[in-house]
Amino acid sequence: MSSFDHQWQKLTALARQAPDDRDPAAPPGFATRITARAATAPAGSPWAGFERFALRGFVVAAAFGVAAIALNFVTLNADASDDVASTDTVSELLDLS
Amino acid sequence: MADEPFDLPGCLERVRQRDQTAARQLVEHLYPLVIRIVRSHLPRRVAEEDLAQDIFLKMFTRLAQYQGNVPFPHWVSRIAVTTCIDQLRAQKRRPEFRWADLSEKETDVLDNILTDERDATPGDALAARELVHKLLGQLKPDDRLVIQLLDLEQKTIAEISTSTGWNQTLVKVRAFRARRKLQKLFQELQSKEKS
Repeated sequence: MSSFDHQWQKLTALARQAPDDRDPAAPPGFATRITARAATAPAGSPWAGFERFALRGFVVAAAFGVAAIALNFVTLNADASDDVASTDTVSELLDLS
Repeated sequence: MADEPFDLPGCLERVRQRDQTAARQLVEHLYPLVIRIVRSHLPRRVAEEDLAQDIFLKMFTRLAQYQGNVPFPHWVSRIAVTTCIDQLRAQKRRPEFRWADLSEKETDVLDNILTDERDATPGDALAARELVHKLLGQLKPDDRLVIQLLDLEQKTIAEISTSTGWNQTLVKVRAFRARRKLQKLFQELQSKEKS
């Protein structure tokens, strides 16, 4: 066991000995207040669990969007330069001649 | 009367039928479990009763989604843990850990832990608990939760996995990362203590 592990284990063992005299029971009226609020609250959507991922999902989607535009921009530019070459009237005329 | 076992499945069935008395009994039955989690992971400046209230409201609004795959108290524990972590994440900035912010008793306990010179006295326990919470306050919420459950509540990796919904490898990775950060904090404190 490293020096840190020993120190940390000693500290947490000491912390665990601290008495917790706080009442674990619900304060008076708490359950009544909660049930009254729950009764008036709208029912949760089955998709509600996904809401916490919404922002991260948006960031990932935006990153994919930017990457897609960047990749296609390069391809479009290459295509555009090909188009210019193929529609060059001088070269077409030379080909004809 | 108080020694009668609580009929949780029956109570849940009545709650689903919108029985207000059963809903109150359910809250009172689960309150000790929820408040223990809240008190262990309570973010700064958040009243424990407000957080407990949020957890119970989420429990009621999501009750239709409970399929019975895990015991109901485990399902509620996950809601409680997630709510606490979301609150901790919402605070964004963690308070800077400074030697000067420690109380005389905390400094004394830390000094004793670092130098290993004398045995701890019973009076050191409260200061040690405060000190541990200050150190844990420097960790990311997920890492803090793992260390809290592992080292303070002495839960096993499997138990932590059940109550958080994280797989066991992830729990181990978070514990490893948290201990490394704590070790760095200890080293910083040791250098400040020497200077």
